[in-house]
Amino acid sequence: MLLLDYQNVLIESILKDRFAQGPGSIDQVVSDFDGVTFHISTPETKSKILISISVKCFPELVQYGAQAVLEREYGPFIVAPENGYDFSVQVDLEALPEDQEAQDDLIRRISLLKRNAMAAPFEQAFDEFQHLQAEASKYTSEQAPQGVREGGEVRAIHYREEEAIYIKASHDRVTVIFSTVFREETDRIFGKVFLQEFVDARRRAIQNAPQVLFQNKPPLELQGIPGVNDSGSGDIGYITFVLFPRHLTNQRRAEVISHIQTFRDYFHYHIKASKAFIHSRMRRRTADFLQVLRRARPETEEKERKTASGRTFKVQG
Amino acid sequence: MSQSLRPYLQCVRSSLTAALSLSNFASQASERHNVPEIEAASSPEVLLNPLTVSRNENEKVLIEPSINSVRISIKIKQADEIEHILVHKFTRFLTQRAEAFFILRRKPVKGYDISFLITNFHTEEMLKHKLVDFIIQFMEEVDKEISEMKLFLNARARFVAESFLTPFD
Repeated sequence: MLLLDYQNVLIESILKDRFAQGPGSIDQVVSDFDGVTFHISTPETKSKILISISVKCFPELVQYGAQAVLEREYGPFIVAPENGYDFSVQVDLEALPEDQEAQDDLIRRISLLKRNAMAAPFEQAFDEFQHLQAEASKYTSEQAPQGVREGGEVRAIHYREEEAIYIKASHDRVTVIFSTVFREETDRIFGKVFLQEFVDARRRAIQNAPQVLFQNKPPLELQGIPGVNDSGSGDIGYITFVLFPRHLTNQRRAEVISHIQTFRDYFHYHIKASKAFIHSRMRRRTADFLQVLRRARPETEEKERKTASGRTFKVQG
Repeated sequence: MSQSLRPYLQCVRSSLTAALSLSNFASQASERHNVPEIEAASSPEVLLNPLTVSRNENEKVLIEPSINSVRISIKIKQADEIEHILVHKFTRFLTQRAEAFFILRRKPVKGYDISFLITNFHTEEMLKHKLVDFIIQFMEEVDKEISEMKLFLNARARFVAESFLTPFD
């Protein structure tokens, strides 16, 4: 339970139920991280399940080639987007693939809808990296023309109100920058502790992990990008992941894309979880202190007093 | 217990025991009122000299005695940002439950993190040496608690960071 799942568990379980038990009417709105909303419904007949997704930054994703990625993943299932949503797929229960494995694969693919939609800019950047790497290998470092040395454009995904992911490819790495907002002072400080460990983890234990950098000011890569505000107040943090060629190989990229997408939610989830733990700890400690204070009160044992005949006294109010 | 903590606590203990000789004293300023003189500060002749016991500039205790009440303020050690926020959270948590603690003041004295107010009514109801014990134990445990919470936070952060980065390896 430490790491977050890449797929949406609710969609997965709904589809599993329907695939196993046959048609039934569904109408459910499912929320996911980052303000993503799904709508699962059976608008026409009970056997046709329509799954729609609404992502805040869909126009941006399309611009970075989301349509192509989604077509590759969902090809024949794509239908016209439902009203109010950005993208829809429809599954016909009567035309399911025969064997179990193919069915499970379909469920898995559909529950990864959000991941696949968000993956487009990453894939594009990784492709660009491969292209630039091939370009760069033709030159020595001094001779390289400007474009190759500098790397490509910065792809910005404004996936939340105030937060964004920036992806930049160059010939020897892909840089992924998360901007994140800390709502309160405690979050900011806890976040700093966590991020310090992310920075140190590479040095200490996991040598092959991407390099992680953390700063409160926009990194140099983001200079001149519209929408990057340099308030300097410190409640926005910029976390940079530097992905090296070994992370960008074809067999690893799918996993890397899925994993890095969960970073923001994972990070904030653990900040909140630590706060909750510390809170319950304080509660326990407070109970201990009360116990100590209670000892200060002399024990006044109220014994029931009786007369010789066995009758008790009663205080008249 | 560290070398310098013991005399510090011992000093607080004896100063506090000495200060806690309280008697009932009705207000001189308004009839039929009986208020803690240290809070009201309306008659300077019943206030005694305040006393500060410091271990260092970050850790000190202020004892302000008067004829019928004693105010004890504690400044808890805060070495860095994390400890600062943890102390702040913890003291806020306690003061919100001041009702249950009887002697806890809802608001700390300026420059301190947490304050207690002991009146003659408290010493009449409760055992004086046990009240002193409580304050001393509080001082001991609060430092321990803060450093344990900090250690926990660091340990969790390390674990979380490593498990996130391991799949990349």
